[in-house]
This record gives sequence, structure tokens and C-alpha cells, in this order.
Amino acid sequence: MIKVKIIKEKDLISKIEIKGHSLYAVYGKDIVCAGVSTMVITTVNAIIRYQEKSISYNQDEGYVFLVVNEHDRVIDLLLENLISLLKELEKQYPKNIKINE
Amino acid sequence: MKFMELSIQLFAHKKGQGSTKNGRDSESKRLGAKAGDGEFVTGGSILYRQRGTKIYPGKNVGIGKDDTIYAKIDGYVRFERLGKDKKQASVYEER
Repeated sequence: MIKVKIIKEKDLISKIEIKGHSLYAVYGKDIVCAGVSTMVITTVNAIIRYQEKSISYNQDEGYVFLVVNEHDRVIDLLLENLISLLKELEKQYPKNIKINE
Repeated sequence: MKFMELSIQLFAHKKGQGSTKNGRDSESKRLGAKAGDGEFVTGGSILYRQRGTKIYPGKNVGIGKDDTIYAKIDGYVRFERLGKDKKQASVYEER
């Protein structure tokens, strides 16, 4: 199961930790993992493209930790969008992804 | 901060790439018939390589200690029935 932990400061998303394996299917066929990976990578790369220093991350197999260094309307919208999509995914695949706020 | 590399199986479980205990095989011994039925062979020629006696030695045919069947004389090979369910190899001077 993929576990998503969202840490907020002053009601703004400041850190996101995503870890674990979705175990929906074997490697290469795991669509839940593909969904999560794509959403996270799209969001992070979009923020870096928008304002490079505003986000930092570290990544390993089955692990991503994001730190939001600067906030503005665009960055916060992108992060909110990521969380709402992950929540949608959680509704469809409750056994494979769990979100804690 | 460099872009995240696109890996869409980032959270997928890689089955342990354990090693397998199989993968060994002995050298093939090329057993079986070395001469065909009705074929002319010279004395000493090997007719059939086998483990155990699938084929028994018939007329003018000898058997080695590794159960190899060989011709004792020049002649034509004949694979014949032996009893109800056995086979033998013989060599005859005439076809």
C-alpha cells in the first residue's frame, strides 16, 4: 500500500511524504503506481519549471519526500491539485493507497 | 533542483530478483541409432548407443560394456522384434 502523509503549516502544504508499494499488480503492470508516480512527477517538475527553488525533493525506489520552500498562488494550487487527484485515486483503489493529513 | 526523472513504476514492487536453483544440465550423450535398418555397415561399426538394453544384440552383433550395440561382420543391418515386446539388431551378409 502507498502511504501519503501531508504536513501543513499555517494551512498551507509544506511537506508531502509518499512511500510504499501499491501492490496492485506486478512491476510494469501496476496502474495505481503508474498513476501516483505520474501525478507526483508532473507536479514536481511543473513547480520546478515555474520556480526552481520553490520546491525540493528526495527520491528513492518507492519513496518521495517533497519540501515546499516558497509559497505562492500557483504553487499552492498545483499542490492542492495533486492532493485532490491522489484522494480521487484513493477512493477508487482504497486497498492500494492511503492518504493521511 | 533538477527535474524528477519520469519513472511510472516508482511505487511498484519489484519481485525479488532471486536466483534460480535450476539451470544445470549434463552434457548430451548423443544416444540412439547410429545405423539405419537395411543400411550396409562394416564390422565394428556402432549400430546403437543406449543406456541399458533397449535394443538387444542379435545375429553377428555384439554388445559393449556400456550397452553399445556394434556389428561383428560387414553386412546389412536389420532391426527385428524379439519376443513380445523387445527389439534386437542383427547384421546379415545378404540384404
